[in-house]
Amino acid sequence: MRSFPFFGAVVIVAATAWSAVMPTRAEDPLRIPVLVPITGFLSLEGTSQKNGAELALVGSKVAFSVEDTATSPEIAINAFERAADAGGVVAVVAPMLGTQMLALVPLADEFELPLVTVSGTAKITDLGSPNVFRFFPGDVVVKEAQARYAVEELGAKRPAIVYQTTAYGQSGRAELQDNLLALDAPPVFEEGLDVSVKDLLPVLTKVRDSGADALLLHLHSGPTALAVRQAKALGLDMPIIAGSAMHQPETAALLAPAELGGVCAETGSSPVSETSEEVRTFVDAYRRAFDREPDAFALGQYDGTKMVLAAIAAGARTPADVRTYLQTARHDGLAMTYMSDGTGNMAHSAVIICYDGEDRVPDIVKRYGNLTGVL
Amino acid sequence: MIRAVRSSSFAIPAAVVAVLAVYALGFASSYDQRLLTLAGVYLILVLGYQFIFGHAGALSLAQGSFFGVGAYTTGILATAWNPGFVVTFPLSILCASLIAGLVAIPVLRLQTHYFALATLALSQLLLLVAVNWEGLTGGANGLAGVPPIEVLGWTASRGLPLLAVVWAIAGTAMLVARWQMGPDRTASFTVAREAPIAAPAFGMDTQMMRFRAFLLSAAFGGAAGALFVHTNRVVSPETLGFGVMVTCLTMTVVGGRYTVLGALIGALLLTHLPEWLRDLDRYYLVALGVLLLVMVVFAPNGLAAFVSRSPSRTAPNSLATAHPADLVRGDVRLVATALSKTYGGIRALDGVSLDLQPGEIVGIIGPNGAGKTTLANVLTGTARAESGTVLVAGIDVTKRNPHEIARLGIARTFQTPQLPSGLSVEDIVETARRHAAVPQPPETNALLSFCGLASIVPIAADTLPHGTRRMVEICRAVAARPGILILDEPAAGLTPKEQLDLGTLCRSLATAGMGILLIDHNIDFLRPITDRLVCMDAGRIVADGPPGETLEDPRVREAYFGLDIQ
Repeated sequence: MRSFPFFGAVVIVAATAWSAVMPTRAEDPLRIPVLVPITGFLSLEGTSQKNGAELALVGSKVAFSVEDTATSPEIAINAFERAADAGGVVAVVAPMLGTQMLALVPLADEFELPLVTVSGTAKITDLGSPNVFRFFPGDVVVKEAQARYAVEELGAKRPAIVYQTTAYGQSGRAELQDNLLALDAPPVFEEGLDVSVKDLLPVLTKVRDSGADALLLHLHSGPTALAVRQAKALGLDMPIIAGSAMHQPETAALLAPAELGGVCAETGSSPVSETSEEVRTFVDAYRRAFDREPDAFALGQYDGTKMVLAAIAAGARTPADVRTYLQTARHDGLAMTYMSDGTGNMAHSAVIICYDGEDRVPDIVKRYGNLTGVL
Repeated sequence: MIRAVRSSSFAIPAAVVAVLAVYALGFASSYDQRLLTLAGVYLILVLGYQFIFGHAGALSLAQGSFFGVGAYTTGILATAWNPGFVVTFPLSILCASLIAGLVAIPVLRLQTHYFALATLALSQLLLLVAVNWEGLTGGANGLAGVPPIEVLGWTASRGLPLLAVVWAIAGTAMLVARWQMGPDRTASFTVAREAPIAAPAFGMDTQMMRFRAFLLSAAFGGAAGALFVHTNRVVSPETLGFGVMVTCLTMTVVGGRYTVLGALIGALLLTHLPEWLRDLDRYYLVALGVLLLVMVVFAPNGLAAFVSRSPSRTAPNSLATAHPADLVRGDVRLVATALSKTYGGIRALDGVSLDLQPGEIVGIIGPNGAGKTTLANVLTGTARAESGTVLVAGIDVTKRNPHEIARLGIARTFQTPQLPSGLSVEDIVETARRHAAVPQPPETNALLSFCGLASIVPIAADTLPHGTRRMVEICRAVAARPGILILDEPAAGLTPKEQLDLGTLCRSLATAGMGILLIDHNIDFLRPITDRLVCMDAGRIVADGPPGETLEDPRVREAYFGLDIQ
């Protein structure tokens, strides 16, 4: 039995080697891996992103596979390298989580693969990479819309900001600060919250005591719903203008219609609120395919993926072809018209939605088009 | 020769690494090379964690924090100034070690779940700093654009070059771990972990051992974190998150807590397993959880236990027997004066004075609760007297730690034998011998033969019958070549023959100059071998004299035998 230890060693090494020699999926000429966070704290938004990409890709001649990136950069890189190893990749649907994108951008540059994402983190398009294409209005756009609506439409002079201490939250908070200062309405209160915080009454009480006249939220889905509910319970007598998480049907579903009354939010789009025939068709198809309501992330990723398919339809066969198309073309999507600003920001419009307290479908009350002046 | 050769076999890890090298060079894709690189990083992390969690037996939840500190040190320095890997890598190790050193002062005193919670608090604190100190750490976004490893103008780019650097460092870490936790130290840590009360009693500084293990774990964690940043080219709060700690803990438990091979298996398997299961889409986490559960249930000691086995050993045919004179440190006198000790409202010791001369055997009797064991504890430093003094060979040891007192020449045994599980009789005695602060400790085999244990040298002590376990513990105490030997109820549970043998052994040691304090209830055992018999009651000495006189003393008859005893 002296050979047993060596047998054990061989088993371990063989198991490791198995991943290399096991058959890969049949290769198509062109492939678009979908790398999205479908587990972890961003699973709700990540699933929307996945669904949007899937809906665009199903029925096309482009092969695709979905890889979960969870919430760590390490897993996102693993997924990227695994997907890139398959060959035939012309573009990658990249995760919306900012820290994962920051890790993937250098890799995308090395592989020369375009990343198509709906990540809102401002920094990803500040890195000077030619491979980042963001199909969701960045914080520069949506936070301007949120600040302007609060100040110009609701007359806020002393707003309070409550944000998440994640990359998403800190990025949005910085843009909100800048915009409010530019609008001569500096925030009188700011506080960051960890995603694990389950009771927002203390911070809402501090908001009330600060003398603020409007509450600007920049939180993830669950905390947004919690903040709205507890603000209503506290009797917080000021308008609430939330971040894009509030527009998600899943967020609204966490609240009673009465609790939603008067609450507004910024977002890139609100598919369930739109009345155009094209968007209604998208919404119906989405519901049939996934048995849930679409949100702006789904629609943004749908539009972005469709633009890649448009590039392929226009003759793109390599990542470089797709990148060139994304850098130069103008694409009329369902949510808005997309065009690169030279740094990969493709979306330049935002909307403000408000709930009327009767149901969970918000109304689009204000559209901010072409805020960057690119179009 | 220590039986804990579980850690001594380096051939299998070396073979695994060699096969992996062939695989990486000849067959691995870019993705496979990345996974192997990550496995190398985690191997270093787990090797470090084995020091504190495995060998020292302390559930530290700070290993992920040290990993994060190393990661942030490299990330901040590299993105701000890029002084080069030869600067950032050592500094990452240093920063993690410094934080560990600072934290160790208050935290290492804690035991069990208090220690775990304290280390968890550290990780939460560091995570808060990383998220909120945006100017330094980049906040929740972290710091992107960390450059690749560059040494003397050569860049370790992604793929094989990075893989080679990481595994070169991982190989070095394996050698360092092997060197730091060779068979002897592994056995010492086993004793400190399994018999924490007894270990200091034969000179083992368990606090220093834990401190050293904590620092080593931090240094390895810092090194792993630095390499992780170069592997991912970004540092973010996830590196300080609890997820890293859980990954590290899982790898250590699944692979094995004590051996280099265990770390290797854990790191390789747990890096690859989630990737192998990715095709299960949303269900891969369920599958991963089930597989881990199965592994932990069916291999509680880690998968390495299936691969490496301890070689079987047999008892030697004959052993030379030690001479009693070689087992005794000469002229050690124990003088205790007016010792007092209370537990709550109970006075366990109340002005106790005792003088034990070299070569003298003193028996201590008394009813339960009389303070006999408390006296032994105070004399050996296990408990601290509130007043009074203890002199050993003229040195005041009243406020000294147990291991310091032991090194001055006092050895002891316990009411319940404190023997570590998993170690052989020889290992236990050999470990005590190595920690003896004497120039020429007795040869282990000769000592075992002297104690009548030659035939059971290779047997695990925890599998022995009670009487033999007692004798092993006495043998271990004598291995420190003490001048004073304190035996707490050594005859309890022994057969008459074993009692006779024990008495003979005590007398021969005393004849060679060892002072022996025998705490027992067995008058028939004590009377023939003691020079003096001391009776205690309610924390006081009520009689002290030759056995015959003490036993006839009315106060002893009242206190110990009861008035109705004729």
